[in-house]
Amino acid sequence: MAGGRKPKSAGPAPPSSTLVLDNGADTIKTGFVTGDDSTTDKAPRVIPNCIARDRHSKTYVGSELEKCKDFGEIVFRRPVEKGSIVNWEAQKEIWDRSFFDDKAPQKCDPSATRLVLAEQPNSLPALQTHCDQIVFEEYGFSSYYRGIGPSFNAYQDIQAVFHTPRTPDTIIDVPAEVILLIDSGYSHTTVTPLLQGRLLHPAIRRLDVGGKLMTNHLTRLLSVRHFDMRNETYIVNEMKEAACYVSLDFKGDLDKTWKGTRGERREDYATGAGIAKDYVLPDSHTRFHGIVRDHEPGAAARARKSAVSTEDILTLRNERFSVPELLFNPTDIGLRQPGLADLVMQSLSVLPVGLWPGLLANIVVVGGNAKFDNFIQRLQVELLERVPDECVVRVARPEDPIISTWLGAANFAKHEHADRLAVTKQEYEEHGAAWVARKFALGLGLDT
Amino acid sequence: MNNFGVIEVASTATKTTPGWAYVPDTGGHPSLPAALQPKNRKRAAARNQPGLSLSDLTARQENKLRKDLEALGRDNQREVNIPIPHKSSTSSRSQKHTPNVRKILQSQKTFANHLDDYQALLALAESNPAAVVNNPLLFMNKPLASSSASGTPAKSASPAAATPPPTNKRAAAAAKRAAAREREEERKRAKMVSLAPPPPTQPEQQTEQQTEQQTEQQTEQQTEQQGDAEMVDVPTTEGQQEEKEVPSYPPDGTVLPAYKKPPPVAHPGDGDPLLVSVVPGFPTDEELRALMTAPPLNYMEARATFGEEGERYPTRVFCEMCGYWGRVKCMKCGVRVCALDCLEGHREECVTRYGL
Repeated sequence: MAGGRKPKSAGPAPPSSTLVLDNGADTIKTGFVTGDDSTTDKAPRVIPNCIARDRHSKTYVGSELEKCKDFGEIVFRRPVEKGSIVNWEAQKEIWDRSFFDDKAPQKCDPSATRLVLAEQPNSLPALQTHCDQIVFEEYGFSSYYRGIGPSFNAYQDIQAVFHTPRTPDTIIDVPAEVILLIDSGYSHTTVTPLLQGRLLHPAIRRLDVGGKLMTNHLTRLLSVRHFDMRNETYIVNEMKEAACYVSLDFKGDLDKTWKGTRGERREDYATGAGIAKDYVLPDSHTRFHGIVRDHEPGAAARARKSAVSTEDILTLRNERFSVPELLFNPTDIGLRQPGLADLVMQSLSVLPVGLWPGLLANIVVVGGNAKFDNFIQRLQVELLERVPDECVVRVARPEDPIISTWLGAANFAKHEHADRLAVTKQEYEEHGAAWVARKFALGLGLDT
Repeated sequence: MNNFGVIEVASTATKTTPGWAYVPDTGGHPSLPAALQPKNRKRAAARNQPGLSLSDLTARQENKLRKDLEALGRDNQREVNIPIPHKSSTSSRSQKHTPNVRKILQSQKTFANHLDDYQALLALAESNPAAVVNNPLLFMNKPLASSSASGTPAKSASPAAATPPPTNKRAAAAAKRAAAREREEERKRAKMVSLAPPPPTQPEQQTEQQTEQQTEQQTEQQTEQQGDAEMVDVPTTEGQQEEKEVPSYPPDGTVLPAYKKPPPVAHPGDGDPLLVSVVPGFPTDEELRALMTAPPLNYMEARATFGEEGERYPTRVFCEMCGYWGRVKCMKCGVRVCALDCLEGHREECVTRYGL
């Protein structure tokens, strides 16, 4: 057989340590995986993936943002656009400071390290090539795999996420057999069906609603109704994370938060009906992060009148649920795309019906937006309306949906698949970037 | 069909062209030459549906919508340029870059630029395939398996993307034979032990194009799996009999292994026709193989759109002021508001913008 001629020991042994990198548009999730469990990172370090400048013209790169106190009027430069690394000048600076500088917190020697990098599905080939070139030609990693982020999620114990009852001796299959993975991140939301850890490419669908769009939408709503928040993206984002939720009864909640027409006094509006919340804005002297409080009628007006009070209070009413509503009804802002539940159905419609029960019973939601309250419940309810009666629909999110992809990728790095898929620097130099890109596109194939 | 033959206004455009937008051609304007009018009677009929012109968005509204959506995709309110700060400590790494890297680092292209480039490339490939035959970017997304299976000479078409010569003919033939042999053995084994999940058969196309390394690894796995199978196949005889009666689901020999556990305990209501649930047939092995080896879609194809039937429900409209349902339309500018209170608030803005 062809393989018999060259003994395995001829090639360089795979490097012992792996840098696992989930390079998101908002945050980078990163950590090392080594053969030995004691030195392996249990959880990733989360670094903001941006270069920021505050109003005093001080610049923060990546993790330096922790030192920033005053987030008023802060502006960002983000190397990742629409899920792909576009601006390498900025990305390189952030990577350098995190991994390669002398004083870097996660010092890494690329020549003795394998890089496992998560990317979005359906990226542009030109950008993928740029990435490969930088990894090998600039940093010189000894071995490298660029894989689709959602597929890494299959390399963890997915049934634990669903709390599936099982006997203790059950063997956890890695990669998981069937998952319908929904990754709702900063740039967009993707639906990716996975079979044995392999993507079913024809069924991948993307909805261009992500955390950024929702934050900007909230900014716009607040600027029309309350203060001009257009330069306060960071603060609005915090507000979104703290106060927004997915409504299980949109119409009802909307009615409760309506102030009524002229002269009308509605009880629900006056009391807040459990929906209205007061958000105390940071004043950047004593308070650097906002606080959510239960709505107290008249508090905002009193605060405005009295000269003593230093609190700026914003009352959030239907903003709380109409912003995440965009995931389920993007047409609300004129974006002509189907909502998330319809997106799942579109994705399923490409697949044979025999796979539906398996996929629908194993829907996992990862990404920062999964943290919205009631997100998975709403998705489950909407899906139940759309699928045949007999289908079991289970939707779940991992404990921390943000680092889930990284955890999966870390398990992947220990799995034998990583050795099969990774490309060495030698191979890159021998065959070129296009070969590498095709090898990655080919993926695992079918041979397990 | 409520899109008047004009689709996708808002978000596919990646560049703003000020003062320009798609507007629905409602026809019937006397100054227009007849050639612009649709010949298709069906289409004309669809256009003349009553009520369409009312819900129709004006050019101004379309424009505003598109601009709004673009603004929602921005990182900062204003365009800002944050230069890379100078490092205080000089890095130990050398500052020399290879030409490729230098080009990438200096590139100031945005995602929209890259997307336009890619679309232009695809358009060119469609209109003039000869011009892009050497462009590796076009074939990059297509995995090797699909190109060899469909018979398109993608490999030879892109010499820049020099793939390693798979294996020579003899080796390929040998691999094929070996695979066939293995399959034969598997079948025998499967007959003997109906319980053990048989290792999935190797697809032929794989053997044709796999590299030496892959072959080696596969053989290793094969041996591993054989070992596994032998270990599994010593269950008690009762278990064997029990499971033989149960049709496995999905059937053995598929990409997905069969359900191995004993079925749930029988229930007196099992035969009740009212409780029978319909289980769709499991896809065949070939279907699954085809799905799992299908090439990735490109960026535009993966974007979700409304299908043929269009949107199922009418678009919801909201009050511009307070976010409640938009039940009233401003007579001047068409903006929706909920009731008189918000309408008054809107009037102030409307008057300052458009005058009385």
